[in-house]
Amino acid sequence: MLSRNPLASCRLSTNVSLHVFHRTLATETVTELSSSSIPVPSIRTKRPPRAHISAAVILNRSPIVTRTPTLFERAYYAYQARIRRSLHNPFPFDFYFKQGSLLETRFNMEEKKRERRAFGPNFGRDDEFVSKEKAAADKAAADQLALQEGEVEDFMPRVHTADTIRDLHSLDRKGKRNIYLLLLTNAQGKVMWRFPQGDVEKGELLHQAAQRDLHAECGSFMDTWIVSRNPIGVYKPAPLESLSEEAEKITFFFKAHIMAGQVKLDGTSIKDFAWLTKQEIEARVQKDYWDGVKDVLSDY
Amino acid sequence: MSVAASSTRSVVRFGRTPKITRHLRKNRMTQLPIPHVNILMREFAPCRLEDHYYSTLQDNAMYMTYVHESGPRPPPRSVRLTYDPTDPYTKNRYNPPVGGSQLGKKPPPPSSPENAIRLEKISIHSMLKDAISSRSNLLGLIMAMRALTGESYKAGGRHAVDGIQIVRGKKSVGGWIRPGIPVGVKVDLKGPAMYDFLGTLVEFVLPRLRDFPGVIMPPSSSSVNSPSSVSGVVSFGLPPSAMGFFPQIEVNLDAYPKPYGMHIHFVTNATGLGAQNRARALVSGFQIPFVRK
Repeated sequence: MLSRNPLASCRLSTNVSLHVFHRTLATETVTELSSSSIPVPSIRTKRPPRAHISAAVILNRSPIVTRTPTLFERAYYAYQARIRRSLHNPFPFDFYFKQGSLLETRFNMEEKKRERRAFGPNFGRDDEFVSKEKAAADKAAADQLALQEGEVEDFMPRVHTADTIRDLHSLDRKGKRNIYLLLLTNAQGKVMWRFPQGDVEKGELLHQAAQRDLHAECGSFMDTWIVSRNPIGVYKPAPLESLSEEAEKITFFFKAHIMAGQVKLDGTSIKDFAWLTKQEIEARVQKDYWDGVKDVLSDY
Repeated sequence: MSVAASSTRSVVRFGRTPKITRHLRKNRMTQLPIPHVNILMREFAPCRLEDHYYSTLQDNAMYMTYVHESGPRPPPRSVRLTYDPTDPYTKNRYNPPVGGSQLGKKPPPPSSPENAIRLEKISIHSMLKDAISSRSNLLGLIMAMRALTGESYKAGGRHAVDGIQIVRGKKSVGGWIRPGIPVGVKVDLKGPAMYDFLGTLVEFVLPRLRDFPGVIMPPSSSSVNSPSSVSGVVSFGLPPSAMGFFPQIEVNLDAYPKPYGMHIHFVTNATGLGAQNRARALVSGFQIPFVRK
């Protein structure tokens, strides 16, 4: 029932990266051929500068609470559960419970409640007659049992306080959703949101660079895991007309999970961080950056 | 129905069941009415582990096992057959390729979102030595398997559900087994029942097992072409002492004559070279631990 978009789009984006490489290689060979085949090369074509490659990390916190079913799903499940209840094999009471035990009494009471929920409030009322005293005694015994076993405690709420106070720093926010780490950076006087990223050093593998850059920007107070050595997406900013001679910039994205800990900024170039859902990311990042990453983020 | 009425009506509560006015034929054996429509039972609750698979594991498994290929694959090399298929004399004869089976040499299918690795079924089976002397000893095992898996024959009107199946001996081995006698049971779990069993296993049973470091993998020097390593199945066994840790059994452990062990197979859709490694990667995503000896 969840979208499987991220996978489909992943293939697309990796194809894009492939395409990029093919084009640069092809142009290089063409220039070399032309220079050698022309007898008097009057103008040497300038070799394009080497592309500037950086590695970025899409740090994900997976859902920690189950999804809330839609109205349609709830109706569907309730209907199917009703069919199941009316068709199931008879429950072997005497195999699971001692005759006349407290546990059996409690189970019978709960079962009656569930049957009336499925088949209407008067279901099974005519079949058996239980005196009022007996019913009251059963109920008191069941309550006593529940109290002994500590079953009166409530469940944890499904909405965390981080959601109510809109704390974007908290890892507990949006428990039903995939959330991602976004950083607010200040580069050359331009304030913008982006994923943690950094340069690749000489001789370093891309996924190692991604891990190192993540720790360099977000501190080492978190336990993370880079899922794959393969990049899951690529982003190339559109080249400006006036600066066409400048090196091409390519950013490769790696997926990572956060297991424990939290981001700790050292307060230099990065001003702030936030854990955001896909829709919240769209509102913050630039248009072409969004087009580069939107397909690798989970819709839910 | 007006908008206001539909918004106030509960979707999970039902009124009284309708009176049956149509005459229904009765099953001669059981004297139960046969419904005039085919009633099929489908999922009746959201499945947490299935959601986990589609929201996290599927993507991760795809990224981890992705092998880049530039362009389509070349067509497979034609393998010479033992007999000439155009010869009418040997036309319908079983025609194996020269050089033996290619099973362990086939590469995995190209990485794509469609064949990202997924769990297809969990198969559980158990053999009981006492059943050879008396087949009634199997009853306790059958009851335990029913409690563990909740499966029964054609449950929910699904003809493909076999429930608890009896396994019979195939060969005659002197002093041990004879063909045709019931010696064990097996269950195939699919869909929500499979994920329920998996969740129970990793949350209640494995953490409470004594001296269980994880599923032991073969040494890294073992063959990569063996049938087990190219079939995409992860198997391990549970000792009889583990049965008491399943909550379904724990509530009345003394109702069973003795504890039973079992073999568990996680069957995935992975095929080709390295399929078992990819299957392990997926299964470990469901928190089954693995160790190398």
